[in-house]
Amino acid sequence: MTMTGLRTSSIEPFMAPAHAPATGDFVPGEEWFAARRASFGPVSLDIGVGPLRFRLDGMSATQADALAARYRPFVEGLPPGAPVDLTLHLGPAGVPEFLRLPPGGSETYRMERRSGPGLRDVWSYEFAARLSLRRREADLALVAESGHLFDRGLENYLRALTASLILDRGGLLVHSAAVVHGGRGYLFFGPSGSGKTTVTLLSPRHTILSDDLAMVLPAHQGFVVAGIPFGMAHHHVPDSKESFPLAGLFRLIQSNRVAREPLRGGRALAELSSCLPFVMQETVEARQALANAGCVLDAVKAWRLLFRKDDAFWQVIEEA
Amino acid sequence: MDLNTVLSKTPDAAYRVYDGLATIVLPSRSEVNVLNPVASLVWDAIDGRRTLAEILESVLRDYEVPREEATRDLLEFVNALRAQGMVN
Repeated sequence: MTMTGLRTSSIEPFMAPAHAPATGDFVPGEEWFAARRASFGPVSLDIGVGPLRFRLDGMSATQADALAARYRPFVEGLPPGAPVDLTLHLGPAGVPEFLRLPPGGSETYRMERRSGPGLRDVWSYEFAARLSLRRREADLALVAESGHLFDRGLENYLRALTASLILDRGGLLVHSAAVVHGGRGYLFFGPSGSGKTTVTLLSPRHTILSDDLAMVLPAHQGFVVAGIPFGMAHHHVPDSKESFPLAGLFRLIQSNRVAREPLRGGRALAELSSCLPFVMQETVEARQALANAGCVLDAVKAWRLLFRKDDAFWQVIEEA
Repeated sequence: MDLNTVLSKTPDAAYRVYDGLATIVLPSRSEVNVLNPVASLVWDAIDGRRTLAEILESVLRDYEVPREEATRDLLEFVNALRAQGMVN
């Protein structure tokens, strides 16, 4: 009998352990957040993300038009009058950056956070935001009014908000590719480099819901999977905003053979939990995420999927 | 640390015992830990009230293992937990 040998894995992706500010970081303090800031403009836009509805406020017409075009499937057809879960007030940050990349320009994406009574402050390279939990509003300051810094800052904050808010609905945001096959959704999860994008590229005739982040939600029977507007790499938008019955969870492992092996119990929970971004840095959210992940695993089978770079893995999956 | 020690889980730890295995998340370290069945039993029993001696008796009830070996493994394990900041 031995009790030692803790099996440890890092939480992926986007998250580096909290650490002291790096040289050159601008850490927004209470005064900075409390200061009144201008908006980009008077235009707002609602976006539906699964059961959540975000209102982006304080944009210029140019910004709103660009986002409406990019997120079109998630903007059009929203039920009129449906309640907004969270309103984001966008505005210019007035600083060139918050976190600074180290010399060499590469590190695990850092997102720092600080919580106070009813408030949650988050900041990264391109944005700083203060969320008021009571008002269901957030002030989002962005270092650029257009371009990749604007896109990345806005989308990463929306990803973090989605991951957090969906927990209350019994759902999860999973670092995963999600592909529709035979009318059902298949979730392929794993850390960066495990092959999520590869799986989507090897499925050219399938509906792709995500190649990076997908949402899992409780449904009338079991769980469903859906894409989110900002769940694809390089600011692409999923093929569909619809949700599909979740048929299986597959932890990707690149190999020279193709096989599936059952992934059960605590090991499945640990593997899945390692792929829940944004919500494992805070104990209350982490507890809820573990509980939700357990419910998903109660309802949906999980496997390790050994795969190589061809589409033979679909034959193995169909046996599941 | 000896068998009279009473340990508590760190309040920062989020965990769930699922199908007999404990999965523990330490937000401050961005780590997910999964324990084997006997370690999960010990983890679940650490509650700020029970001594390690009482937890040892639980282990001996569930596992056929010499007391000396179980004692050694238990102390080694809880020392590892403490070194990782998972118990106080």
